[in-house]
Amino acid sequence: MAAAVHKLLHPHSHGRNSSKSEPEQHSSSPHERQDSAMDRAREDEKRSLAQWEEHKRPLSPDKVASDPERKMVGHSSRVLRQDDFELVKTLGTGTFARVWLVRLSDAREADQDKVFALKILRKVDVIRLKQVEHVRNERNVLAAVAGHPFITTMVASFQNHDSLYMLLDYCPGGEVFSYLRRARRFNEPTSQFYAAEIVLILEFLHEKEGVAYRDLKPENILIDAEGHLKLVDFGFAKKVENRETYTLCGTPEYLAPEVIRNTGHGTAVDWWAFGILVYEFLVGQPPFWDQNPMKIYEQIVEGRVRFPTAMSADARDLISGLCTVDTSKRLGNIQGGAGTVKSHAWFKDIDWDALYNRRVNGPIVPHLRGPADTRNFDEYEPESDSREPYSKDMAEKWDEYFKDF
Amino acid sequence: MSLPPDYSNEISALNREILKQQPADTLQFCANFFLRRLESQRAEFLLSQQHSSPKGRGIAESSFPGSNPFGTSPSGGFASSQMHRLEEEEENDTIASPTASSFPPNAMDSSHNSPASQGTFGNFAGFGGSSKGNRSQPPSALGNLEPQSFPNNYNMNRRTSVSAESLNPASSANDNWTPPYHQKSDDQQSRLKAAVSGNFLFSHLDDDQSAQVLGALQEKPIPTKGIKVIQQGDVGDYFYVVENGSFDIYVNSSGKLEAGPDGLGNKVGTVGPGGSFGELALMYNAPRAATVVSTEQSTLWALDRVTFRRILMDSAFQRRRMYEGFLEEVPLLSSLTPYERSKIADALETKKFPSGTTIIREGDVGESFYILESGEAEVYKRGVDKAVKSYQKGDYFGELALLNDAPRAASIISTTEVKVATLGKNGFQRLLGPVEGIMRRNDPSKSAHSDGDNVDPLAK
Repeated sequence: MAAAVHKLLHPHSHGRNSSKSEPEQHSSSPHERQDSAMDRAREDEKRSLAQWEEHKRPLSPDKVASDPERKMVGHSSRVLRQDDFELVKTLGTGTFARVWLVRLSDAREADQDKVFALKILRKVDVIRLKQVEHVRNERNVLAAVAGHPFITTMVASFQNHDSLYMLLDYCPGGEVFSYLRRARRFNEPTSQFYAAEIVLILEFLHEKEGVAYRDLKPENILIDAEGHLKLVDFGFAKKVENRETYTLCGTPEYLAPEVIRNTGHGTAVDWWAFGILVYEFLVGQPPFWDQNPMKIYEQIVEGRVRFPTAMSADARDLISGLCTVDTSKRLGNIQGGAGTVKSHAWFKDIDWDALYNRRVNGPIVPHLRGPADTRNFDEYEPESDSREPYSKDMAEKWDEYFKDF
Repeated sequence: MSLPPDYSNEISALNREILKQQPADTLQFCANFFLRRLESQRAEFLLSQQHSSPKGRGIAESSFPGSNPFGTSPSGGFASSQMHRLEEEEENDTIASPTASSFPPNAMDSSHNSPASQGTFGNFAGFGGSSKGNRSQPPSALGNLEPQSFPNNYNMNRRTSVSAESLNPASSANDNWTPPYHQKSDDQQSRLKAAVSGNFLFSHLDDDQSAQVLGALQEKPIPTKGIKVIQQGDVGDYFYVVENGSFDIYVNSSGKLEAGPDGLGNKVGTVGPGGSFGELALMYNAPRAATVVSTEQSTLWALDRVTFRRILMDSAFQRRRMYEGFLEEVPLLSSLTPYERSKIADALETKKFPSGTTIIREGDVGESFYILESGEAEVYKRGVDKAVKSYQKGDYFGELALLNDAPRAASIISTTEVKVATLGKNGFQRLLGPVEGIMRRNDPSKSAHSDGDNVDPLAK
């Protein structure tokens, strides 16, 4: 069935390249017959979006890793448009993207509650900030991993003349960051639960997909309606497989030493960041910090972590193993991979299989008035009106790079 | 029934303190310990109430002292001064009260009080935009009477991701990039070397990288006083070393240079010959934290980020590919997957030996495996006068040490200065498990002995 849907949704995938050579077509109206076929495809796609949630359940890691074209989700849609969605509220902003809570526009009564998170990226900003490669990586990785229980699901992606869109599942609990800052720190069982779900994510990304995530931090981890985690923002995720990569990216306090020293890095950076994350869960702030970022980096390459007196021996041992400067000694990167992390004493109470299948209750279950409740998200400044246009010259130069979006 | 984990954590924390303090009056010590713990948790609870936003109340309200997931665990039970205690744990022999007010005033900041003197890379340490938020203010000013201030001035806001230009070694192989080279006198060269030696970004460089980086620094004359070399808030692409002259550093608390007579903000320091500024620009494009203005005719050396990072990347990339190429030639490791080979290449450690060094000695127990990266070495065996073999770049020796503890079958002595890449048995096993298992992958009948002779002339 998915294949049929896919066919239906991409009736024009051949015609698209030809339209690129005639950019004027954007404004002029295309063939009438094509239009109605397009409309029908759009209606079908919207209906399937509305129903998508009912079908979702955790796929096994191998199923998720299977060809994304055969999954219900994660495809590049040729028919969806921004008009198909009503922008309700900003959920988050970045330097070149804004994430909105959206509702299907003209939704049938029954589908009024069907909401999504729509990430909108302006092509012009993506290019200005030299993030073209990262944005392409983000879409491709999200398409590949769609269906994992603890990773945000990209239901579809699409684009128009000047913007790129990623339609994601909405995660109403908000950021782990907000809970952590409010609580100051998490106790051991809470930290263990969240850390364990992250381990499952990293195990999957590294060992099934060959993907380094590269921006682990509480801001990028959301809590879903049932209290489980969803990893979001794959802007720096990259399929590295067995080749090291060199572009510096991440968040200052969470950068691994090999990223700072530019000696080439791979999936091991996520295990370093994971150690920082567990520390921040337990202590309330990361181990390396200074007002001056260069001082943070100096501490990181030195790699001496200090622990509060009351931190348990197991937690110290885990964090020390993860935050090891020498990657050939770093827990998670050494023989056994994520398995070695999972069998660490700090995780002895975790039932890994039950956790993956979401049979364990999360420590915080958000209070929600409904699936579209946004009380767990902060307020953001409205979008500024002044916007650099995506010129014809830019389109000619760059649209090539966005063509698979 | 086992003891509750919270209890165990408390007791082991107490045990650590007892061991450290060796108190004469144990009972009083324990009583004080728990009283302090309780006090700190309570302080924290009260704090968290003040901190919580209305919508967060549900969590904060119930967070003391019961079974809520937050804040009540012993591991989390440090007072608001927990970062202070982090410092004390290793640097202070007395137990300070975990409560904020009795915290000794100088324990956390001593290492950060270095004045913004010329020549240090720490010049910009306090340029966080507002001098109020500066960590190096007297700690007593932290007051701790204001419960709203998080210890250590940790920035509680969302953190922004950073990213540099995409660097792709594959393309650099095609376009044959070589770093720019700008001629310098020996004197200038050594002054530059001294100027950057204190910076951790440079201290890890090997000789080749260091020569390339110093060569790439470009002279930038500053003709007169009053020239703003960098402006607070602007994008930063260059790092500068002062050759001669002098510069004043200004920080405007608004975070960027403003128009008007006071637009520069406050003068926070001066930088002179041998000093440097703008080093964050070598990492990624971040807004400049200060404005730097010349006070006389001066000369700077400038280095841009892309050149710097590309020098580092290219040499790391080439070295890894060279190691992988060498490893492919080692029959003992022929069944490694490319992924495994790249892991081993990553773990190889470079060592240099002068001419005439005995790198491994016949009869010793072997621990490490070596690849000759540059230079030459000769193989000697007891009872034979002359060298039995000589090694050049790409040759390897001692790999049977990865397999067993058999004594080295010959000695290897360098005949020139040599550079070797080496990895110990422990390191290898840590990454990939025992070598035997890897060898058996291809051919179960293959054993170490059957091809031992062609694998390693040193093995018997």
